[in-house]
Amino acid sequence: MASVLAQLEQSGVATWIRESGVLYGYPLILFLHTLGLSTVVGVSAAIDLRLLGVASAIPLASLDRLFGVMWAGFALTAATGVLLFVSDATKHASNPAFFVKLAFVAGGVAALALVRSRVFHGQQRGAVLAAASLGCWLIALTAGRLMAYISEFIS
Amino acid sequence: MNLAHLHLLLNHVPTIGFGFGIGLLAASLLRESEDLKRASYVVFFGVALVAIPAYLSGNAAEFILKGERELPEGVVAAHQNAAMLALIPMEIVGLMGWLALRRFRTWHQPAVLVLSIAAFLLMARAANIGGQIRHPEILAADSPAYAPAWPSPAAMGAAFVLDNPWVWPICEVLHFVGLCLLFGVTLLVNLRMVGFITGVALAEVNRLLPWAMAGLGINIITGMLFFLAAPEQYTQNSAFVWKMGLVVLGGLSLLYPAMFDQEHASTSDMLDAPLTRKVVAACSLVIWVGVIFFGRFLPYLGME
Repeated sequence: MASVLAQLEQSGVATWIRESGVLYGYPLILFLHTLGLSTVVGVSAAIDLRLLGVASAIPLASLDRLFGVMWAGFALTAATGVLLFVSDATKHASNPAFFVKLAFVAGGVAALALVRSRVFHGQQRGAVLAAASLGCWLIALTAGRLMAYISEFIS
Repeated sequence: MNLAHLHLLLNHVPTIGFGFGIGLLAASLLRESEDLKRASYVVFFGVALVAIPAYLSGNAAEFILKGERELPEGVVAAHQNAAMLALIPMEIVGLMGWLALRRFRTWHQPAVLVLSIAAFLLMARAANIGGQIRHPEILAADSPAYAPAWPSPAAMGAAFVLDNPWVWPICEVLHFVGLCLLFGVTLLVNLRMVGFITGVALAEVNRLLPWAMAGLGINIITGMLFFLAAPEQYTQNSAFVWKMGLVVLGGLSLLYPAMFDQEHASTSDMLDAPLTRKVVAACSLVIWVGVIFFGRFLPYLGME
């Protein structure tokens, strides 16, 4: 496992992201990661608020198109996330906060898919799913933001 | 022009702007004019937004002036604390004004009037102390303005962040939470305004807007704590200047959809959106993406 991580880290792309120092390298990837995550989490949170009773006059059907926006945001976050991971694979793989973040991102995405199938295209009211979704995103954001502090603390 | 000039330009806006807003609100009470009242709320909200860069540019001015001449240290600190003491009620008035524009409650008007007068007087005091930095000839060291009895929120905020190592990371987390709320809700509202979302009246979607405002509020508070703790990290950074300019514009754009709160779903509204709205929504979207861009590029772009 360690050798795989080291290999990833030594690859051309990873080295370029880590060491090129150009603005369209690491900083741009970080920006796109933030843009993507704020789209998924932000729009998902807005839908969760609607399911919890805020602006309850909005018909759910009118929000259905937003799932495309959220999946696009998620694709951007995931792709840039992979790049950010390989650029520092060993460090991230030894950081418990990283795995907490991944687990709760998975939870948030699962909640999103369930909201669509069971609430938008089903009979469920969705308040519980909405609360779970908000909780998952909050923990994922917290763990992700604290990764740098925790890796510093471990080493 | 440097940021010290910008401070001299912006620092008149809070006092004069609030004076104007108070005048409008008072006139609206006398003439029982709904339009004047709404105008005063718009003025309070806009001035509260501009007051933020007015405050921030003060630290930049301090940095520039320090390189040129000896500054009366106590006066600068007193000016900063006085400005923060006025900025806090000013932001509260701005928020109350925005809320009152959308859903009026009877206590709004007297509360805004009292608090805006208090904020105006506190800002006038801050301006008076600030004037003594530029005109040391009128400086009076025993001036009651520096009496330690006045609270010093700027110094307290800085100490709160610097003395507690957990505050900065927690604020970073909260800054992201606020960002997601603000961006997610404005994205949804903007997608309604451009017509990507249909089948719902804008007024209904607008009911989510207070959550965008909550996100903006969280980010102004946490962002201000970062700034108070490490002002030189920001004042010397051109990406930060761009970010703050865009935050003011983005904040102002939160007024726009609220103008259509009284509107009900009509057939045309359900199908397509007017061109002006599309343009404003597109601008708002670009502005908020720009805010995230300059925020994220802050450590990499614009450092001296």
